[in-house]
Order: sequence, then C-alpha cells, then structure tokens
Amino acid sequence: MTAETTEILVFQVGASAFAAVVHDAVRIGSVRDVPAEELVVGSALGMPFERTRGIVVAAGEAQERTLVVDQVLGVRSLPAEDVHPLPPLAAACLSSGAVTGFVVMDGAPTLLIDLRALVREHPAAPHKRAA
Amino acid sequence: MRTPIDVDRKKPARKSSAKAARGADASHIVTVLRAFSVGQYGGRLDLSEFEGTPLLDIARAVNATADHVEAEIREARQRIDTVSAGVDEAIEAMVRLVIQGDLSGTLRLGVSDAALTPLIAGVGQVMETLKKFVTEIREAALQLSSSSAEVLAAATQNESSTSAQASSIHETTATMEELKGASHQIAENAQMVASIAEQTLSGAKQGEGAIKAFMSAMEKVRGNAVEVDDAIAKLSKRVERIGTVVEVIDEIADRSDLLALNAALEGAKAGEAGRGFSIVAAEMRRLAENVMESTKEIKNLITEIREATHAAKEASDGNKRMAGEGEKLGGNAMTSVSGILSGIQETSDAARVIHLATQQQRTATEQVVQSMAEIEEVTRQAQSGSKQATGAAAELTKLAERLAELVKRFKVE
Repeated sequence: MTAETTEILVFQVGASAFAAVVHDAVRIGSVRDVPAEELVVGSALGMPFERTRGIVVAAGEAQERTLVVDQVLGVRSLPAEDVHPLPPLAAACLSSGAVTGFVVMDGAPTLLIDLRALVREHPAAPHKRAA
Repeated sequence: MRTPIDVDRKKPARKSSAKAARGADASHIVTVLRAFSVGQYGGRLDLSEFEGTPLLDIARAVNATADHVEAEIREARQRIDTVSAGVDEAIEAMVRLVIQGDLSGTLRLGVSDAALTPLIAGVGQVMETLKKFVTEIREAALQLSSSSAEVLAAATQNESSTSAQASSIHETTATMEELKGASHQIAENAQMVASIAEQTLSGAKQGEGAIKAFMSAMEKVRGNAVEVDDAIAKLSKRVERIGTVVEVIDEIADRSDLLALNAALEGAKAGEAGRGFSIVAAEMRRLAENVMESTKEIKNLITEIREATHAAKEASDGNKRMAGEGEKLGGNAMTSVSGILSGIQETSDAARVIHLATQQQRTATEQVVQSMAEIEEVTRQAQSGSKQATGAAAELTKLAERLAELVKRFKVE
C-alpha cells in the first residue's frame, strides 16, 4: 500500500522558506534573461536579497510571470497529512490571499503559497506590456 | 901753552946734604913718577940730592912737569866750577820755568862761558821742544778729553744697549725654551693626528667597501624585486585565467543546477512515473551544488590570492622603490665617502708632513735654544765687558780731564 504524497517546491525569499505546489511552477529559470516587466520582485513574501533565480508562473492567457526568489531549495515529496489548510483566523489576519496553508517539513511549519495568486496580486506594468 | 916751572919755588921736602952727598938714585924718581901715575901730583924731588949726578936734569924735569900739571889742574878746576855754576843756573832756571809752567820765555844765564854756549843752546832747544810737546799734549789732552767723553757716552750707551740686549736675549731664551716645549708637544700632537688620520682613513676605506657591498645588495634586491614583480604578474594572469575558468565552471554548474531543478520539478509533476527522474535530478543538483560550492571556495581562494598578489605587488614595488632609494642613498653615501676619503687622505698626508715639519722644527728649536744659551753667555760676558769699558771710559775721562788740567798749567805763549 502506497501512502498519498504531495510534491512541494521549496524556495526561499529573504530569510524565510516557503513552499508551493509543483504544478504552480512552469519552470525554474534565471532572472537575467527575463524582461523586467515580467518579474515579480517585491511581494507579500518580502524582498529577495539576491535576484538570481526566478520561478516562472503561468498568469493566464499564455502569459507568464517570474517570481524572483533568493534560492530554490528543491522539490520535496511530503505525506498528505503534513499539508494543512490555513486556519480561518490566520486567513482573516493575512492581507494576501496567496497563502493557502502550511506544510510541516522536518518538524517545522512552512507557509504554502499559491504562486499564481501571488503573481496576480502584482500586475505587470502597462507600458512594459505595451512595449 | 906750558910755562916753565921753577922747581925751586916748590921747595920740596929736602933731604939733608949728607944724604944727597951720599948720592940720590933713580928710585926716588920712580917713586914720584909712580905717584903721578895714580894722580898724586903733590910730590917733588929734592934736587939737591941730585946735585952732581946725571939725574939732576931729570929730576928738574919731573918737578917742572908736576908743577905744570898741577897748574893746569887748578885752571881746569876753576873752569869746571864756572861751568858747573852755569849748568846749575841753567838747570835751576829750567826747573824754575818748568815748576812755574811758564815756557813762553827764553833762558838767560848770568854766567858767560863759551863752554856753556852749547848747553844754553841745547837747553833752549829742549825748552822749545818741551813747549812744542806741551802744546801738542794740550791739544791732545783736549782731544782726549773730548774723545774720552764720547767714548764714555758710547760705552754708557753700549752698556745700556747690552743690558737691554741681555734682557731681551734672556726673555728670548725663555721664550725659546717655552717654544721648545710647545714644539715637542706639537710634534707629539702631530704624530697623534697622523695616527688618527691613518686609522680614520682605514675606517673610511672599510666604510667605502661596506657601501659598495650595500649598493651591490641593493642592486640584487632590486633585481629580485623585478623578478618577483614579473612572477607576481604571471601569477596574476594565471589567477585571472583560473578566475575566468571558474566563472565558466560556475556558470555551467549554475545552469546544471537550474536544469536539475527543472528536471526535479518535471519529475515531481509527473508523479510516480517521474520518481526516478526526480532522484537523478536531485543527484545532479547535488553535484551541481557541490561544484558551485567548490567554485565558490575557488573564488574565495582567488580573491585571497588576488589580495595576496596585490599585497606582494605593493611589497615588491615598495622593495623596488626602497632598493632604488637605497641605491640612490648608497650613491650619495659613496660620493660623500669618496669626498671624505679624499679629505682624509689629504689630512693624513698633511698630518704626516706636519709631523715631519714639527720634528724638524723641534730639532731646529733645540738648536736655537742651544745657540741662544751660548749667545746669552756671550752677551753676559759682553755686558760685563761693557761695564768694565764704561768704568774704564769714565776713568779715562777723569784722567783726560786731569791731564788737561795739568797741561793748562804750562804757559807756552
């Protein structure tokens, strides 16, 4: 009998680690080659220290946005019982709707981020898109 | 002119007729004649004794001769008395004139005798000669007095000069003695200076050798610094090259890491089917991370090497600069030491010459001191002689004055 697992992408922004479902990420890329208007640098997760890695996220209508992170720590396969939804009180306190829950890794809770919702909270600059 | 003497007038000692009768002999005549021969003319023969004998005429002649001789003796004695009186008068007159000092008059005698004429003439001549002598003596006495006064003045001046000269010579001798001591001291000092100059010259030559060695060492340091500089430049190029290679490796590792991440992502998306793929991707990512970790270490090492080479380059530049400054300072020191050497050489030569000169001076000074001592002795004798000469000149002056006073007593005009 095989236990049900959830594949989690773990990344770091600033000093904090976050988790996301692997299907939210299209790919992992380099920030250097991405146009600036497609980058999401500052978000509800904070400001990254380094701008070397980016998580490419599908933003609908064949549009992609790249969330700039400090480091992509890897892919983890977690048991389903370690993935928890966000408690209502916590959801009510948070201003961003991109935080959907938390996962327990190595005994410590890590926020689970909806990458698509996160990038939607930061629309791209209009003129950049026009260009 | 002889006059015949009457033997009868004499009445000699008559013998008795009997005796004459008995006949006189020649022995009586011989006796009388023997008395005549010794100046006794008083004896006469008794002619009566020779009456009738052949000796009567002889006896008469003997008596006549005796009478005649006695008469002439009396006449001669009278003339002698007359002449003696004239001579006495002349001498008395001359003595009186001499005592009175009056030589201006002429000698006049009360006695007139032809025999005194030569005497009177002689005395007159003596008086004239004496007058002449007195005149000349008076003039000579005056000249002598004047000359003796000049001699006295000169002798006094000479004595004073001799005393001053003796004092000066004494002072000069004392000074020369001091100079002798000073010359001795100078000679010793000059010898010491010459010795020190020789030692200084030796030390300066050693210093010159040390500076040459220092300059050679500085040149080697500069050469080594240039070699180190070249080595550092090569090392820097190598390090830069390594850095470039590391950047490439890092870039490759980064891309490998990215690929591994995407592979793992895709594997995860594929679910159970991509499990093995995810494992491989994870392994690849671990390798890539190891590579990146290594490149990071290499970059850190390269940074340290760059800092070290930069520090070595600065140190090498500092060494080159210091070596250059050292060579420049060494050159300046060499120039200075060369000048000092030249000066010391000249000083040494001069000190040697001074030493020889002072030795000669010392010898000469000793000779001068010896000569000055002899001169002082001679001067002392001359001073003594000068004093004696002054005394003699004073005495001579007194005698000349005395002579002039005495001569003044004689009146010649």
